[in-house]
Amino acid sequence: MTIRLYDPGGDPPEHVATLAPRLASIDGLRIGILANGKVNGDVLARETARMFVERHGACIAADENKGNATRICPPNLLASIAECSDLLITAVGD
Amino acid sequence: MVVLGARSHEVADEIAAIEYCYAQGWTDGLPVVPPADHLVHEMLEWAGRPQEEVVATHAATGRRCSVFSAAVNAVMAGCRPEYFPVVLAALEAMGRPGYNFHASTASTGGSAPLLIVSGPIAEEIGMNSGANVFGPGNRANATIGRAIRLTILNVFKMIPGISDQSTQGNPGKYSFCIAEHATGNPWEPLNVELGYPADVSTVTVYAGGGFQNIENHGAHDPEGILLCVADSMANLGCISPGQSVVVLSPEHASIVASKGWSKQQVREFIYEHARGSLVELKRAGKVQAEPAADDASRFMHRGQGAEDILITVAGGDAGGHSAFIPSWSRGRASLWQTRAIGVCVDCENEEEDDDDTSL
Repeated sequence: MTIRLYDPGGDPPEHVATLAPRLASIDGLRIGILANGKVNGDVLARETARMFVERHGACIAADENKGNATRICPPNLLASIAECSDLLITAVGD
Repeated sequence: MVVLGARSHEVADEIAAIEYCYAQGWTDGLPVVPPADHLVHEMLEWAGRPQEEVVATHAATGRRCSVFSAAVNAVMAGCRPEYFPVVLAALEAMGRPGYNFHASTASTGGSAPLLIVSGPIAEEIGMNSGANVFGPGNRANATIGRAIRLTILNVFKMIPGISDQSTQGNPGKYSFCIAEHATGNPWEPLNVELGYPADVSTVTVYAGGGFQNIENHGAHDPEGILLCVADSMANLGCISPGQSVVVLSPEHASIVASKGWSKQQVREFIYEHARGSLVELKRAGKVQAEPAADDASRFMHRGQGAEDILITVAGGDAGGHSAFIPSWSRGRASLWQTRAIGVCVDCENEEEDDDDTSL
C-alpha cells in the first residue's frame, strides 16, 4: 500500500523571468541606468556605465532611480528605459 | 481522493515519505509530516473557502499561494485542521502590499514573520500565551508559525542562500507565533484595540528582527520598567524609524497598569524616551551626515511616533522579563498587518499601505 503525497510547491508563477539574450557587442549602444534606491547603488551603476562609454563608445540614454530597493520597479519606468536603451545597468548599494 | 491539477507523488510508506520530503528540499531542516491526501483534505475542510482561491502573492516573482497549497504546507508543519484558519489569515495579512512580503523574506535583514494571535480562538485551539511563550512545547504555536515558514520555502521559493539572502537569519525563522495573554492583560486585548469585535479573533503579522529580552526585577513603578524598554529599543545596533513590537510580561504589565497607566500612555512614554542623540548616531554611522553644532541637542526616536509601537502582553505570570522585537524595515517598507480569523470582517475596502519610501 503506497502513500500519495501532494507537492507543496504550489501553482506555477504568473510570470516567469528569463535572462535577456547576450549582446554580441556593446560598441556604440545606448545604456539605461537603473539604481535601486540604496545608498551608492547609483554611484556604482554610473561608474560602470562610464567605463562602457569610454571603452566602447556607448552613450547613456537614461539615468533613473527606482527609489525603493524593497519594491518592484514601476512598469512604466521600466518601459520608458527600455524604449530608449539597448542595455540596462542596475546596481545594488548600501 | 485526488485533487485535479495538483502534483502528487507515490512513496512506499511513512518513513520513506519523510525521507522523500527531505530529498525534494521540502523541509526547514526538521522532519515534516508527509502531506498525504487524506490529511490535506481534512485540513481543507476547515478552510471554509474554495481550495483554488489565492491568499497571498509575491509581486516580484509572480508566485501565488492558494488555499490548497497552504493546506499542504500546514499538514507538513504538523498543524491540526482547526489551526488552519489562523494560517490562512496570516498569509492573507502577509499578502497585503503594506507588509511587503517578498522583500521582507528576501532581505539580508533576516526577518521572520511574527504572528500575534488575539481573541477567543487562542484558547479554543490551545495556544500558549503563558510561560515560555516564545519557546517550545505547544503544538499550535509551533506548527502555525512553522506552516508559514514552510509556505515561504515551498510555495514562494525563498531558499536560504539563494533567494533568501539573510545575512544571519534568526531562530524565529523556524516558527515565531504567540498568543496574547487573555487574563494577565490589564488593558483591552489587541483585537479590540484594533477595532474588531471582542468575539472576532485576529492575527497580526509583523516582519520582525531578532528577539531582545528586557529584564527588570527591581522597578516597582511604570517609569523604571518602561525606561528599560525604551533603552532596549534605542540602542545603536537597532535604532531606526521603523515600527516596534513590545511584549510585556504579565508582571511588568501589572506594575505599569497598577499606577493607572493606559496603553496609550505607555506608548507615548516609550516613544519619548527611545531615542538617540545625533552625536552618537553620526559617530556610529547610523546617520550618514557631517557633524553639526547642535547635534547634542537633536535626537532620533525609535519609530515615527507613538503609534509605531505595538504593545501586547504574553508570558508566564512570574518574572520580570519582557521582550522587544524590532521591525525588519528601517522605515515604512514593511508595516504590521492584521486580519480577522475565519470571518470576513475586513475583506472589503482593505487599506493598502503602499506609500513607503525607504527600507
